[in-house]
Amino acid sequence: MGVLITPAMVGQVVISGLLAGSIYAMVALGLGLIFGVMRVLNVAHGPLMMLGAYTTFWLFQRFGLNPYLSILLSMPLLFLVGLGLQRFLVRRVVDAPELSSLLLTFGVSIALVNLAQLAFTSDLRSVEYLTGSFVVGPFALSKPRLAACAFAVAITVASFVFLRLTRLGKAIRAVSQSREVAQVCGIDVQRIHLLAFGLGSALAAAGGSLVAVMVAIQPEMGQVYTFKSFLVIVLGGAGNYPGALLGGLLLGLVEQLSSLFLTAQVNEAVAYVLLVLVLLIRPTGLLKGRV
Amino acid sequence: MAMTSLKRLGKGLAPVVLAGVMLASLPGAAGAQTPIKIGASMSVTGTYAKPGSYQKEGYDVCIDELNAKGGLLGRKVELVIYDDQSQPATAVKLYEKLITEDKVDAVMGPYSSAVSEAVANVTEKYKKVMVAPLAATTSIFKKGRKYIFMVITPAENYLDGLIDMAAKRGLKTVAIINEDTLFPKASAAGTAEAAKKHGMQVVLQEAYPKGNTDFSALLVKIKAANPDVIAAGTYFDDAIAITRQMKELNVNPKMFGLTVGGDLPEFYDLLKQNAEYVYGSTQWDESLPYPGQKEFLAAYKKKFKHEPSYHSAAGYAGCLLYADAVRKAGSLDADKVREQLLKMETRTAFGDYKVEPDGFQVAHKMVMLQWQDGKRVIVWPDDLSNGKPRYPTPEWGKR
Repeated sequence: MGVLITPAMVGQVVISGLLAGSIYAMVALGLGLIFGVMRVLNVAHGPLMMLGAYTTFWLFQRFGLNPYLSILLSMPLLFLVGLGLQRFLVRRVVDAPELSSLLLTFGVSIALVNLAQLAFTSDLRSVEYLTGSFVVGPFALSKPRLAACAFAVAITVASFVFLRLTRLGKAIRAVSQSREVAQVCGIDVQRIHLLAFGLGSALAAAGGSLVAVMVAIQPEMGQVYTFKSFLVIVLGGAGNYPGALLGGLLLGLVEQLSSLFLTAQVNEAVAYVLLVLVLLIRPTGLLKGRV
Repeated sequence: MAMTSLKRLGKGLAPVVLAGVMLASLPGAAGAQTPIKIGASMSVTGTYAKPGSYQKEGYDVCIDELNAKGGLLGRKVELVIYDDQSQPATAVKLYEKLITEDKVDAVMGPYSSAVSEAVANVTEKYKKVMVAPLAATTSIFKKGRKYIFMVITPAENYLDGLIDMAAKRGLKTVAIINEDTLFPKASAAGTAEAAKKHGMQVVLQEAYPKGNTDFSALLVKIKAANPDVIAAGTYFDDAIAITRQMKELNVNPKMFGLTVGGDLPEFYDLLKQNAEYVYGSTQWDESLPYPGQKEFLAAYKKKFKHEPSYHSAAGYAGCLLYADAVRKAGSLDADKVREQLLKMETRTAFGDYKVEPDGFQVAHKMVMLQWQDGKRVIVWPDDLSNGKPRYPTPEWGKR
């Protein structure tokens, strides 16, 4: 019953892993940004991503808008939703014990999923836009996944350019490193918090728009990405932005390779074992000390 | 003058009054007795709200039909339904309430295996016959229970048709994959069993976790194993993802069949031409030539203004089966009705019915359908089919 694993199969699986990983990285960067700046773990990250996916679906359904172009709308829209959440809810628990923010965002998560069920029903939706793959030698490169990867890389690079080179980006990193010192230096910390939550939500939305072309869209599609993103930022070192990239790619690879060499059933288990190992050996994450 | 007309009136009234007295004294005159109350809990809200509502509508049509034909044992029939919110624990409390407080005369099953399993303990305790039209898990009927009856085909047999068609075409190898949860697991195990029985070799059998979205590695392995047939124990979102990724990775077996998902109209809406040639299995289809089918469809569509699902048909048929057994037993007594339900061999609008002594369904057949030019064509079994399977499945680019 065993299947002989050839190098070509490993190559194919590595490609799939990296393609998936690039999206994990981008979405997790959003979660990491919020956590880095406020030490708030946003459990509603996945549901925000789900809203991004629905935005793409409805624009495609009603107006025939190209799903990749819809990112230009889903990101700003969810940026605003993020601002609203931060302004009216999350702001109140930033300095409270961690449990408060966990409970709050958990509540927001349940509310978003249920609102989506009411508004959109739990019927599965899909954006049938790009299917099939490019064949390169022995490898098949899935068109929707390749496109998603390209956009994820572009958005992630843009986010890094923003964080590294702009004043606002530098201010975000400064707040992540030390809120007090940043405040003393004249940075408006409240404003940075708003911005971080908005950007984090926009990155989730981009992820939602991209996976909308690959998987079925339904209100509960997001939760699994909350957990994956959480895994990624812990792997990479919480609050460490380049670490999120590494963690994302690593998670994509581990999932696919463990499905290939072991069984698909255990790929989540393997990812969590990896998490435990990283926490034991390098509790600060794979890349530490860099923001 | 006045006297005579009064006398005449008296003479004219006498037989009417007499007839009225006689009628009232007749046992079982419709309307003269309290109605028979049939209770059930239903998943009207929660995760199972959609199929649960379909099932309830099936019950409603059945009750209307019974009453239109003069009720049951000469009494009107009334349905008492509570919402169990798709929670087994809630359903257990509701069946307790139905039986002990509302004192219903009979009960019908709730939606899903999980809820049926939970409430079966209550109905057994009070010795109430429960026809459970939407319980598909074999184990429910293998625990020594006496009063629960199965209507639909168990999970293990969902893909019998796929394997049967494959074996008839001389195919030798099959890969079986399934979501790692109760129902798909049972269907995968049953499919493997059927494949072995037909002399086919299972070249790969693997489960994947619920919520999986990337099947590349699994499909790469399947491609390497190069099976003639891929059988998948799916729900719905996984069925979509797997079909799409098969195209991407050019995995192209001669036959590809799914348990749940492949049968739904949404499957084609979502995948368009990529759904062509895919086999799905279903408990029931409105095009099947079953007795009473036309009447059921007409009554259902008139009452609810939409198409029924197989849940509706199973609910409808389950309720009629119970009524039939009561009629034959001539009583609502649980043991007498049970005896009839064990003896009955019949075909309803939902298909065949015959159970083993433990209430386990053995006659009802799944049908296999194949998507052909955007339509669901029933291709198995032969005596119920309305088309031939398009075989073998061509390359992805030519669908």
